[in-house]
Amino acid sequence: MAVDITLLFRASVKTVKTRNKALGVAVGGGVDGSRDELFRRSPRPKGDFSSRAREVISHIGKLRDFLLEHRKDYINAYSHVMSEYGRMTDTERDQIDQDAQTFMRTCSEAIQQLRTQAHKEIHSQQVKEHRSVVLDFIEDYLKRVCKLYSEQRAIRVKRVVDKKRLSKLEPEPNTKTRESMSSEKGSQHPSQESEEKPATEEYPEKVPAESQPELGTWGEGKGDDELSPEEIQMFEQENQRLIGEMNSLFDEVRQIEGRVVEISRLQEIFTEKVLQQEAEIDSIHQLVVGATENIKEGNEDIRELPCLR
Amino acid sequence: MAAATAAHISERQNVAFKRILNFNVPHVKNSTGEPVWKVLIYDRFGQDIISPLLSVKELRDMGITLHLLLHSDRDPIPDVPAVYFVMPTEENIDRMCQDLRNQLYESYYLNFISAISRSKLEDIANAALAASAVTQVAKVFDQYLNFITLEDDMFVLCNQNKELVSYRAINRPDITDTEMETVMDTIVDSLFCFFVTLGAVPIIRCSRGTAAEMVAVKLDKKLRENLRDARNSLFTGDTLGAGQFSFQRPLLVLVDRNIDLATPLHHTWTYQALVHDVLDFHLNRVNLEESSGVENSPAGARPKRKNKKSYDLTPVDKFWQKHKGSPFPEVAESVQQELESYRAQEDEVKRLKSIMGLEGEDEGAISMLSDNTAKLTSAVSSLPELLEKKRLIDLHTNVATAVLEHIKARKLDVYFEYEEKIMSKTTLDKSLLDIISDPDAGTPEDKMRLFLIYYISAQQAPSEADLEQYKKALTDAGCNLNPLQYIKQWKAFAKMASAPASYGNTTTKPMGLLSRVMNTGSQFVMEGVKNLVLKQQNLPVTRILDNLMEMKSNPETDDYRYFDPKMLRGNDSSVPRNKNPFQEAIVFVVGGGNYIEYQNLVDYIKGKQGKHILYGCSELFNATQFIKQLSQLGQK
Repeated sequence: MAVDITLLFRASVKTVKTRNKALGVAVGGGVDGSRDELFRRSPRPKGDFSSRAREVISHIGKLRDFLLEHRKDYINAYSHVMSEYGRMTDTERDQIDQDAQTFMRTCSEAIQQLRTQAHKEIHSQQVKEHRSVVLDFIEDYLKRVCKLYSEQRAIRVKRVVDKKRLSKLEPEPNTKTRESMSSEKGSQHPSQESEEKPATEEYPEKVPAESQPELGTWGEGKGDDELSPEEIQMFEQENQRLIGEMNSLFDEVRQIEGRVVEISRLQEIFTEKVLQQEAEIDSIHQLVVGATENIKEGNEDIRELPCLR
Repeated sequence: MAAATAAHISERQNVAFKRILNFNVPHVKNSTGEPVWKVLIYDRFGQDIISPLLSVKELRDMGITLHLLLHSDRDPIPDVPAVYFVMPTEENIDRMCQDLRNQLYESYYLNFISAISRSKLEDIANAALAASAVTQVAKVFDQYLNFITLEDDMFVLCNQNKELVSYRAINRPDITDTEMETVMDTIVDSLFCFFVTLGAVPIIRCSRGTAAEMVAVKLDKKLRENLRDARNSLFTGDTLGAGQFSFQRPLLVLVDRNIDLATPLHHTWTYQALVHDVLDFHLNRVNLEESSGVENSPAGARPKRKNKKSYDLTPVDKFWQKHKGSPFPEVAESVQQELESYRAQEDEVKRLKSIMGLEGEDEGAISMLSDNTAKLTSAVSSLPELLEKKRLIDLHTNVATAVLEHIKARKLDVYFEYEEKIMSKTTLDKSLLDIISDPDAGTPEDKMRLFLIYYISAQQAPSEADLEQYKKALTDAGCNLNPLQYIKQWKAFAKMASAPASYGNTTTKPMGLLSRVMNTGSQFVMEGVKNLVLKQQNLPVTRILDNLMEMKSNPETDDYRYFDPKMLRGNDSSVPRNKNPFQEAIVFVVGGGNYIEYQNLVDYIKGKQGKHILYGCSELFNATQFIKQLSQLGQK
């Protein structure tokens, strides 16, 4: 187990001080060492890089706190039945989404800027390496905070999708549900992507518009109040049939949902990999360009050879 | 519960070290924590301790941006805290004072591997004052981590200055008292640090009249002093940790290398020991020289370059953990099996690729697709695992191939079998002279090893005429006879002291010349290599441990000294007060140890439920290094 000897060290400092005083040895160019220290420390150049790096970190920290603060309200599914206090409207949620995304974009730009700048001024290899690792840490921090955001976003969109699905009643299940399923698929997919794609705001607005006319036609068809026994029976049968169809559709939709979730996860993975490969492809590109030029020059040199003879 | 103390010494060091990196505050994983960056400065001792514990990636995860050697050129990096992990030597302190004067970093966290003396602390205080940097020195700690853990249950004292505590250093005839004191102090310091980290005060047993006894006396004294000092005791309640829950204290058995000189020379047959014997392996890193394969080099070619590759054999490597104690043919088979299962998984992934190509063609394919999506997801997410598996398989294929080459070239299987027979005193089917004179079998060193083992294990020394014959054969084969000189002296001395160690009964069963491995078309073509199976035997060290741990009565160990630092008055008796068998033991070999002994202990304890052993030695050498030391000793 480790032993903390910091106090012992401070005691040694005192001992040495008194001993030096007794021996009349000058201590760091001043009698009062601590005052001297203060004076000396202020003109010390505070690394420009590190102060800016810390700024970025504090910004990201603010974003994180902001997200965590409102997280509970954000994902609260029953906000419409809760009291005034805990409620958060959709517009507020959208606002949060917007703000968070702009914030994240600014942060990553700031990091990029820092990166290009950091390497310009400094000549020491160690400092360069240190700075690039520091920037890696900051980027990683940003990624983790963004993950917070995308998680809660995914939950939100899923909830909305579930809600919409449950509130749908369609007279012709086959074609209409296929339509809505494709729009669902389309919305699930971007929702799990990285924060740079704010496309899904349009989705919540689209579906209510779609379901409205359906409810409308359904509602109008039932204007008649008197129902003969045959009609009742017919309607009952139709009810049964519809229930059966709805159930099977429900299952199908469940399946598709599962597949879509998996596909979106796969796409996440693929996106990551593609992004990773981007850097490599860039470097390969550079190499190829260089090689092509070398070959061109080589060929020209070879062509010149017969002339020399 | 008793298991918690002795096991996982590497984990304890790991936790302690992570704490150091976290500015001496316990480390808690926080997924949304702000990054804190720092620079790590270590000396060569620190480097040796850290490298088996943490990889560079793990250092990065702890926020280390740069890790630098103390005595290198270091540029000032502003606004960065620096964590130092160094030994409190004169040179290191001077360099640290220089750093303080040059204002290299923002703040300094000083961690000394073993305790720093008051005067050196004042030197640092002086420099800090002169540089007006006293407030920058944020924390100073004595870490008591002066030992290197190689495995969960194995440690060595040092790597850097192992010359100081080597077998040769301890046993040379011209050693002075002061030099001996220094060596003993170094060993005791490390052992003390070890027990502080373990959080337990052991009961010490050692043989009489050896260097081990000197170590025991000093260690007992040091532990005793520390326990008495109530204010600064390192063994008080909260530092004990898990140790305080076990009612039993561990047993420390201190043995001297001299009780068994044959084992370090022995040719071996288990994977880890083989790697240590024939390849360049230390601190869990093996360095291979690969000759790059057939190269289509252009006309006027460059010479074939040999690639140097080094691999880390870590606890994360599951194959290594499983097979490091297995006999070599088993290892070869297992690598083959792993390769096959990996290929099967790879094919699975490739098959899914082709199925994906069917997408959009017809209904039937699409419905088949539904579980394939799930399969694809799992395949893709398991890709990193697969890649890691491939890397390990490649690693072990390379290492095992290199070992196999050595085995085939030097006929190590023959040596192993023969030596086992010698050590167990079964009849020999080939004469020793034949093997020595055989030009194909082994290097001169191998022959020397074989002969020394024969000489050491022989009940009576061979007659002068025989000896001359052997000597001539050895010299013809190109051996240096110096080690023999020393062994002669040692034997004479050992005979006076006690009966020579016997190695118990054992047989090696050759399982046919052509192993099954070859029939399955594996790349480990072991033709001509005997598929030998080890039968469990107890080496001398294991036997001694068994006697002491189980409180068995045995003339060999009955007069071992007994020390209990916790007892108020030390006594010289050999009668242990505690009559119950021990649950945990630490075996420490003064003068050097090796993997063969380690493996033997591991095998011994496997059969015993709930018991744990740790193996430690002052230095770790393979037979080559040991022969060198013997040769130097024999020269004087």
